[in-house]
Order: sequence, then C-alpha cells, then structure tokens
Amino acid sequence: MSDLTQTLPQVKSGPDWVLIRKRTRSFIAHAFVLTLVAIMLLPLFYMVMMSFKTSTEIAQDPLGLPESLYWGNYMAALSSMGYVRSVLNSIGITISVIVVVVLTGAMAAYPLARMNNRISKTIVMVMALGLATPNFVTITPIYVIFRDLGLLDSYLGIVLAFAALKLPLAVFFYTGFIAAIPMDLEEAAKLDNCNSWQIFWHVIRPLLAPVTATLSLFIMIMVWNDFIYPLLLLTDKSKLTVMIAVYKFVGNTGIDPTKLFPAAVLGSLPLLIMFVAFQRKIMAGATAGAVK
Amino acid sequence: MAELSMNKVVKRYGATQVVHGVDLDIKDGEFCVFVGPSGCGKSTLLRMIAGLEETSEGRMTIGPKDVTHFDPAERGVAMVFQTYALYPHMTVRENMSFGLKISGEDKTVIKEKVDKAGQILKLADYMDRKPKALSGGQRQRVAIGRAIVRQPDVFLFDEPLSNLDAELRVEMRVEIARLHKQLGATMIYVTHDQVEAMTMADKIVVLRAGRIEQVGAPVELYENPDNLFVAGFIGSPRMNFFDGEVIELGFHQVMVTVPRLGNVVVPVAVQSELRLGQPVTLGLRPEHFDPKGDVKVTLPIDVHENLGGVSYVYSNSDEADLPIIVELRGQRPPVGSDLEIGLNPEFALLFDPQSEERIR
Repeated sequence: MSDLTQTLPQVKSGPDWVLIRKRTRSFIAHAFVLTLVAIMLLPLFYMVMMSFKTSTEIAQDPLGLPESLYWGNYMAALSSMGYVRSVLNSIGITISVIVVVVLTGAMAAYPLARMNNRISKTIVMVMALGLATPNFVTITPIYVIFRDLGLLDSYLGIVLAFAALKLPLAVFFYTGFIAAIPMDLEEAAKLDNCNSWQIFWHVIRPLLAPVTATLSLFIMIMVWNDFIYPLLLLTDKSKLTVMIAVYKFVGNTGIDPTKLFPAAVLGSLPLLIMFVAFQRKIMAGATAGAVK
Repeated sequence: MAELSMNKVVKRYGATQVVHGVDLDIKDGEFCVFVGPSGCGKSTLLRMIAGLEETSEGRMTIGPKDVTHFDPAERGVAMVFQTYALYPHMTVRENMSFGLKISGEDKTVIKEKVDKAGQILKLADYMDRKPKALSGGQRQRVAIGRAIVRQPDVFLFDEPLSNLDAELRVEMRVEIARLHKQLGATMIYVTHDQVEAMTMADKIVVLRAGRIEQVGAPVELYENPDNLFVAGFIGSPRMNFFDGEVIELGFHQVMVTVPRLGNVVVPVAVQSELRLGQPVTLGLRPEHFDPKGDVKVTLPIDVHENLGGVSYVYSNSDEADLPIIVELRGQRPPVGSDLEIGLNPEFALLFDPQSEERIR
C-alpha cells in the first residue's frame, strides 16, 4: 500500500482543461443547432407577426413587431376565404389520399418485397424513378389525362392524382420494411391455414403500423401543402383546398398582406395541430422496430 | 396422430439437388430426431414434410393421405420454428387461437382448446401478454401451444431450442419430452445438438449431404454405427479414429497395429474376411480408454479439461490429425506429463478407410 502511494504522481490543483474543452465544445454545438432552429423558424415567426399588424404598421415598418395583437385581420380573412369549407376539403382530400396510398402501396410492396427476382427488382427501380421525376414534368400529362377522363374539378380526380404521385414513395417505404419481416411469420401463417390475402391482412399489415404512421405524416404534409395540383385540377370554389384559398389574397395587381398572412397562418394551423397532437406517436413509430 | 412415410423423396433447387431419394418411415407416436451437420438437408426435409418446400420427386404420406402436393394447412401438421415465429402484434391467446379462428372454428371451442393448452404449458397467467413481454422460454412455450391447439397428426420442431440459453434449453428439453409422453403424438424434431437427439429421440435419423446415413435408436447409433460419419457425429466428445493395419488374422478376430499409439497391437472382433496388410480405421470412444485396459498406451497430455465428475485429456493435438481424446474419472494428471493408460479392445470398431463403411 505504501509503495503504491509513493509511486502515485501528485495531482496538481488548477483548471481542469479537459472538462473546460468538453463544455466549450458542447456549448458551440448547442449554439449551432439553436441558430439553425432560429433560421428555420424565422419565416414562421414573420408570418405570425405580420398577421397581427394593421395595414398602417405594415406600410410604415414591414419588419417591425406589431404594437398590439390586431385580430381584425383574422376576422376579415375568415369571412372572405371560406375557411371552414376549404379546411374540410383539405382534410377530406388528405385523408383519402393517405388511405388509398397506404393500402395500395402496402399491397403493391408485399409481392415486390417477397419475390426478389429480376422483374420485381425492375418494378421497384421504375417506382424509384417515380420519386425522382420532377413535379413539373407530370403536370401536363396529368391535366390532359384527367380532362379526357372527365375527372377535372372532382374530388375523385384530385385524390387519384395525389395517390398516383405519392404511390412510389409508399412502395419504396414498404418494400424495404416488408423485406425485413421474417419469412417464418408468413410460414407460420400458412400452417395456420391462411391464404396470401389473409397473410397480408392479418400478419403483414398490422406489422406495418409504425412505418405507416411515418409515411402518413409525409403524405399529409405533402398533400396539405401542395399548391400546383389543386390549382390545376380544381376550379369549383366549393372544392378548393385551404392552400388555394390562401392564394386568393395574391391578386393579379397586388397582394393584400393584412389578409394573406392571417390566411396563411389559418391554412397551416390544422396541420400544425395534427403534427403536435400525433408527434409522439409518429416519432415512436418512426423509431420502433415491429419485429423482435 | 399418424405415421409418416417418405418414399424416394427428392428436393431440387434448379439444377442443385439437396435431398437425394430419402426413404423413411416414422411410426405413430414416435419421437424422431433428424440430426446432421449444417447444410445436410435436415431442415429442408422437415420443411418438405410441412409443405413449406415443394417435393420435387417421390411420395409422402401422413396416415392414409398422400400429402406430397398438399398445402401446409391441409397436411395435419403443426410446426414450431427456431425463431418462435409468434405474431408480434397479437397476445398469447390470439397467437394460439389464430389458426383455429382462420379455420372457422367455433369461439367456445377455440377458448376451450387454448385454455387447455395454456394449462398444459403453464401459460395461463400470460394469456393477455404480447410476445415481447415474455421470456425466451415462455415464447417457445407459446409457439408449442400454438401447435398443440391445432391437434395435428404430426408435430414438427425446427431447432426449437437453439435460441435459448443452456439452462433453459435443458428445461425445455425435459418439457418437450414430457409433452410427447402426455400427448402421445408423432413428433419430428430437427437439431444439430446431438445431446438433444440422444436424450429425446425414440429414433434418430442421421443425415449428411441430403442422404440418410443411418436410422436407429440413440443407443444403437452410439454403440453400433454403420460408418465413420455416424461414429464420428454421434457422441460427445467424438470418437477417436486411428489409421491402422491388419497384421494377423484369427478366427472372428484380427490384430491391428496402430502407429499413432506407438504401434500398439489391438485385437478386434470381426465377422468379415480381411486380408493381411489391409489398411483399416480403428475407432475408439474416449470412455473406452481404461486404466485397467488390457492394451497399454502412453499419451503425452497437451490439454486437460476438468468437468468435475469426469475430465478429458487431449493428446497429440499438434499433429495434423485431430487430437486423441481420453476420458478420465478421478485422475487429474498434470499437463505436459505422460499418461499411462490402457484401452478396452472389445469396444474398438473397424472401418474401411476407402468406403468409410463399418467392417463388422
């Protein structure tokens, strides 16, 4: 024992540089992340701030903070944009698209994940191309096809168009996930007297819940915020989505900011509420493994 | 319950043949174990019985039915998978009742059967839990329960214990054996663990490269192997093999000299006619070395494994051949010393080094 104490080096008292370096690094990393978050939130903050300013305040100091929260803009926007109707349209279209894409995507992905031959691989590749195709390439063909099919200005038309556009994403998502589900489960189901459809419905589909939650979130954001296709395929005022309703305040000759900004806030609000409400479930779904 | 019969059963994947004309009969209520090294086709054969793999050629019958091309569910079999294959989104009760539900069984009958299986497998307290909330052993019991409720003619087990730790494996082994006794069902069990095979089986089928090497009761295979492969595969630690040469012929006996054991001469009883100078392989199990044995040998000790009751000595481990393994009881010789020991020639077996067949 005494030998040990004799050979031990003397510990000098003074600043612990290792700890200081560690804390500095942590502080810089946090500051960097906070700056990024601030940059991302800036447009949102600007939108909300502008929505509470009077027209005089906007004219005098476009970047300044409002002196008080002026709710009149919201009243004016609500009365002139048909808010409830357009939100209901957006909700209806978004949910319909999610249901169609989730069902057809999972059903398409199941055989593609399980076949694992040249044909299935080619189909997955073609599907992946669908993901890479720029939106503007598909606008004209979709318009022409839907016009010829008589699907312009109909809920069915807009749901089908979105479903077709989002299907590659779903197939891509599900193919990878289903491929990771052990074959033993399907074989056990076969021994349990299941046919292919029953295996899909009773065994595979429930296991897709986590990935479905994440996929639904992506589709929800994309469809809710999409501007081009509703503008292209819908003209009837009663069928417009909330994003098109917001666009009403961008006129040919000028913009009315006192209505545009509150309308934009109102348009984003349902999506934000849904995201906050389901955030925990969605994040849990995105990270949890279905098969242990 | 039913007997199972395979007649020249073949499995091919494209041009590759993995099961070569297997003929096998398993009696009603028998516990049959398929053993063999990895890739020998034991799991493929089991999957062919289950109907999860197509049979390329040959016939297969379960009871009176020719099930060769039947779907899995029509065969009257139930399978317990290595990975348990429990449906993760269903509770224990739902897992066990799923097959019956899909088959349109009456709800009260399902409940009755599932409750009974739960009682047998001591799962009554876990019926509403999901598989992830169960231990490995409990999950395996659920998988067995799922098989029991279907009341199949034949139970199939595909290495069911290999995912469990050593202690639980022993526990489940006993439990499956008890279950077999209780149900009296025909069971086919695949394993590469020969302790499982030796302790559980009524009949062992030893497979190598898609062919049956030998079929028989565990003791029969251990004491009376047909060839070098079975002799080497059955038994732990494995049998020792020595190159030897016949130097003297007698009445139903030959004298074999073994260079690796210091040219010791071992008398071996045989019925076959051999010739002088014929090369042979002599097989001797580790427990057949005996301090009181008639034929004395001296072996340098390289490694000594002490298991408590018994210990194993490994000798000549630096040679190209596998080390010689000797079982000792009560002795603890130091590593590096020489072990003076005898061997019991009445247990020595002879094999033809060319054909690898037993010389009887």
